[in-house]
Amino acid sequence: MKRRVVLVDDHELFLAGVRGELADAVDVVGEAGSVAQAVPLIKELDPEVVLLDVHLQDGNGAAVINAVAPERPGVRFLALSVSDAAEDVIAVIRAGARGYVTKTISAQDLAAAVERVASGDAVFSPRLAGFVLDAFRAGERVGGDAELDELTPREREVLQLIARGYMYKEIAGRLHLSVKTVESHVSNVLRKLQLSSRHELTRWATDHRLV
Amino acid sequence: MPLPSFAASDDERVIAGVCAGIAQALAVDVTLVRLVFTLLALAGGAGIVLYFALWVYGSKGKVWLTALLVLFAGSLLLHAVGLSDRSVLGIALVAGGLAFAWRRGGSFRPDAPLSYGGLIVAGAGAVLLLETGGADTTVLAPGAIAGALLLIAGPWLWRLALERDAERAARIRSDERSEVAARVHDSVLQTLALIQRHAQEPRRVASLARRQERELRGWLYGDRPLGDQSSLVAALSAVAADVEELHGVRVELASAGDTTAEEPLVLAAREAMTNAAKFAGVDEIDVYVDVEDDVVSVFVRDRGRGFDRASVPEDRRGIVESIEGRLARAGGSALISAAAGGGTEVELRLPRVAS
Repeated sequence: MKRRVVLVDDHELFLAGVRGELADAVDVVGEAGSVAQAVPLIKELDPEVVLLDVHLQDGNGAAVINAVAPERPGVRFLALSVSDAAEDVIAVIRAGARGYVTKTISAQDLAAAVERVASGDAVFSPRLAGFVLDAFRAGERVGGDAELDELTPREREVLQLIARGYMYKEIAGRLHLSVKTVESHVSNVLRKLQLSSRHELTRWATDHRLV
Repeated sequence: MPLPSFAASDDERVIAGVCAGIAQALAVDVTLVRLVFTLLALAGGAGIVLYFALWVYGSKGKVWLTALLVLFAGSLLLHAVGLSDRSVLGIALVAGGLAFAWRRGGSFRPDAPLSYGGLIVAGAGAVLLLETGGADTTVLAPGAIAGALLLIAGPWLWRLALERDAERAARIRSDERSEVAARVHDSVLQTLALIQRHAQEPRRVASLARRQERELRGWLYGDRPLGDQSSLVAALSAVAADVEELHGVRVELASAGDTTAEEPLVLAAREAMTNAAKFAGVDEIDVYVDVEDDVVSVFVRDRGRGFDRASVPEDRRGIVESIEGRLARAGGSALISAAAGGGTEVELRLPRVAS
């Protein structure tokens, strides 16, 4: 049974490309080009995964998640963007996206990422892992709620390896853990990132934009 | 001259919601507005008339009736502070006349058409004021005239300032536009031309596109320009783009933090990327920059055929000299290892100089 996927992106060309590439791996049930189109469409179709562009013309990906999530908690979001701006990426993850990949990702890797998100795991690309490490480090320097605002040494290790380009299986081998444990570390990091109320994470992102 | 928009508020009304409406329009606390109206109401009932005037304006939209009522309220106020009937009438005429001139002329600018009727009324008022020789007005009249003028000229001065801001904003926009045009011409259009000429070489086209994407992204999202030596990440982006172009590979660059670009580190990283691109036989290399408080690390990894140090000929100086030697001289270290899952990983570490 193929995963039911909705694509949200305001670039026609990119939509067509992804649709073609993913046709064998997933079932693309709907497409939208704006926040206004996406919100009712996702609510109606109730897909398993939404591939969500970080930037849309009438808003950003976070707006879509915020509008849909309360009514459709089962829908999982995977952010997809060409943007390098750490602020935007962290914002959409904090809104509830289960991962972030860049648009240069290969079709095969994208299909694997969709599958991973659909089964409830998080997808951390190397770039996202770097952003997240940096954000938490900035928070730790200020001190705060240790449970939510700091990463454990193990979580940090896992994130560093992801940033270095290792896959979960390789990380598991290297750290003598099971792949499940690696996945749960990543999910924990995601949870902390979403639940931490620390302004540092937000401020860090804003600072980055200004640097 | 568009009149400021204002509507009585139904949500927080006590009488007709005028105070709440003003508070919303000016974004101030409603209690403050009510206090001002109360004080004005004590001044001969001026506040009550003004309240009524604004209600007429907000709900009926009758500008002239409002203006008359405001004039009336002003007269009551002036009366209350002790001016004679004649001076109050004079000031009312000046204010009414100037208001009329202002509405009709649309502007106080020298080249704007003026309403002579309004000016005549204002002039008559001024004469009336100056002729009034009462003891109570000799001191107050000049002040009252100045106040009235200020009240009437205020909106005009305000508008002048707004127009100046708008002009400045327009100029900045046009400057930005030409900068964007220049930038697009220098980079994107040139790259598109190159891509057309090399359409038969997919690898070259891909690397051109990636290089352009990297550069444009760096510019759009406020990163430092490529080649800026003050940023390690920027310097490594530039190196990565070069390696991509020269060897037709993809370099994925991730980073946590940033610091100043240390030349030995950048050059050693470049050598490591080049080696991976040339010898590993892969089309993607992962590079990760990790800036910690006391040390900077750069990891360069590939999933290629691996690498056996013993098989490298003695005369090949790349690794010994360009990577290890360079970092050792700078006080750092380099570690080359077989990466888990196949391929090679080069780890470059350089202690951070306390700044």
